[in-house]
Amino acid sequence: MKPSICRRALALALTLAAALCAGCGQSPQGGEDGKLGGELNLYTWDGMFPQEILSGFEEETGVRIRYSNFDYDEDMLAKLEETEGGDYDLVIADDYIIELVIQEGLAQKLDTARLESYADLNPVFMSQFYDPQNEYTVPHGAGIPLLVYDPALTDVELTGYEDLWDPALADSVALTANYRVINGIALKVLGQSYNTEDLDVIRAAGDKLLELAPNIRVINDSNTQDFLISGEVAAAFLYTSQVYLAMTARPDLEMVYPKEGLGFGIMGAFIPSQAPNADAAYAFLDYINRPENAAKCAEYTGYYCTNQAAEEFISPEMRKFLVLPATSAQGEIVQNISQEAEDLHSEIWNQFRSACG
Amino acid sequence: MGKNRLPSQKRTPWLLLGPIYLFTLLFVALPILYLFLLSFLRRAEVWGVDFDFTLENYRRIFEPLYLNTFKESFRLALLSTSLVALLGYPYGYFMAKMGPVWRRRMLLLIMIPFWTSALIRLYGWIIVFRSNGVLDRLLMGLHLTEGPLKLLYTYPAVVVGMVYSLLPFMILAVYSCAEKLDWTLAEAARDLGASSLQAFWTVTFKLTLPGLLSGVVLTFIPSMGLFFIADLLGGNKIVLVGSVIQEQITRGRNQPFAAALSVVLLVLTTLMIRLYRRLTGTAKLEGLV
Repeated sequence: MKPSICRRALALALTLAAALCAGCGQSPQGGEDGKLGGELNLYTWDGMFPQEILSGFEEETGVRIRYSNFDYDEDMLAKLEETEGGDYDLVIADDYIIELVIQEGLAQKLDTARLESYADLNPVFMSQFYDPQNEYTVPHGAGIPLLVYDPALTDVELTGYEDLWDPALADSVALTANYRVINGIALKVLGQSYNTEDLDVIRAAGDKLLELAPNIRVINDSNTQDFLISGEVAAAFLYTSQVYLAMTARPDLEMVYPKEGLGFGIMGAFIPSQAPNADAAYAFLDYINRPENAAKCAEYTGYYCTNQAAEEFISPEMRKFLVLPATSAQGEIVQNISQEAEDLHSEIWNQFRSACG
Repeated sequence: MGKNRLPSQKRTPWLLLGPIYLFTLLFVALPILYLFLLSFLRRAEVWGVDFDFTLENYRRIFEPLYLNTFKESFRLALLSTSLVALLGYPYGYFMAKMGPVWRRRMLLLIMIPFWTSALIRLYGWIIVFRSNGVLDRLLMGLHLTEGPLKLLYTYPAVVVGMVYSLLPFMILAVYSCAEKLDWTLAEAARDLGASSLQAFWTVTFKLTLPGLLSGVVLTFIPSMGLFFIADLLGGNKIVLVGSVIQEQITRGRNQPFAAALSVVLLVLTTLMIRLYRRLTGTAKLEGLV
């Protein structure tokens, strides 16, 4: 009796193991049932895609996604420099860093004929400074930092950046921590460009920014919306995704398109020069740009949708946050500037931070 | 080779020490050398460094902005270390005087918070300090304050975070020293006519000084680098050297300048510790620095 049970159990275990192996052998190696197969090494920030999209792509194509994430664009650049444009198949990062990636020869030219939905992409987000001929990148989401304030906590009716300087907002303002963007507020108040390389103009903006210090309660780059939601601050300058989260959690907050002019940022997807599996990258770009899928991505991240065909699939209550108002497309993008100017910005920023404390 | 010694006796220490020497060489000496060399190079236009020698990175540190950052870092480190010593010394001292059961309990109370990540524990402080947070409600409930105070993102909040994070190192250092103390020496001092305060000051304190000193070292050095506490509880409004280094490596893409800042920080910290040893006359105490 005993040995036979043992033998039967063993046989069962072997069968199960065999079935398991058969199962695991299929999807990553791929090639079967006409599926693409293989691996996609995706490199971007954490939380850029809903699980539904990632799983849906894996199921449809048999490609297994290996998602690596970075915190700073600069980390991504460093990684690509180290691997000389290899290891990763698709990268999504910010506009200014893509300019450097392309300059360094770390991105490959796209064969746009391979992208079915290419015609759906919104031209507003294309032909920008980092890729004027659209040779290397496909836009994937865009943002405009905005002012949001809590009318219950302040009598100041904000219409532009300049209102942040109002003494009534003492110790009541939250800012994000990107120094080019924040110093840019002061530049805009002075009627200047974000990208001026005139050191005197930048210094003047620095002096203006220092006057803002008494009003700053907290500077934080991530989850800045929480300070507004919890009532820690009365006003904040936020990234698009944070504006969306703040307004969703607290519809009583007011959202302001600053009158001095808007900042504008685009995230772009590109294929590194030595990508091991560019085919998978093309397949993924195609998948995420199908209108329904692009809508899901935008709803998930809270960034402006860069795909025109997707706009109708975005739920009506989210549309005002995710579809760029035609009038506000004239924003200026923060671009790479001379080292001297960049250094001066960094110095002003640290001076400003110390003055806030 | 000594005639009387077996060959194996002579070789064994090297075999045992070899890995540690190798480890120190590979992971301590070489990185510091790399850091040092890097600090004299010029950054490249886009990414990385150009191999031409420059003192520019060091010159830049002497700009008032960066000098001020160093000053700010030292001020916070000194303040935190002093407070930690004031709170930690009595705790460690009295813990050593307790019976074994209570000692274990007290030790457990220190260790339990370590089961959670330091970052999570700091978020706990945010919940305590924030507007309408735990502390605010408590104060309002006791009718001590009327509206919510702005406690978070202030200098005191940062100091509380620093002291909280570093206190266990001081307690454990003082405790491990006081535990081994021969208490009969203090009794002898009392027998010979010293008041309890005199006996403490001339005997016990002197004998536990090595513990206090290693506690100070264990507290001071990390407190120079704990910039994330200042960022989290100070709302990024206190600029410490650590955060400038981080910014220069990431956004600034200026590794050589970050390296120069690190080298100066390293040198200044070493000097501070030496100065401290000289001033307190504890240079000869063993097992330290």
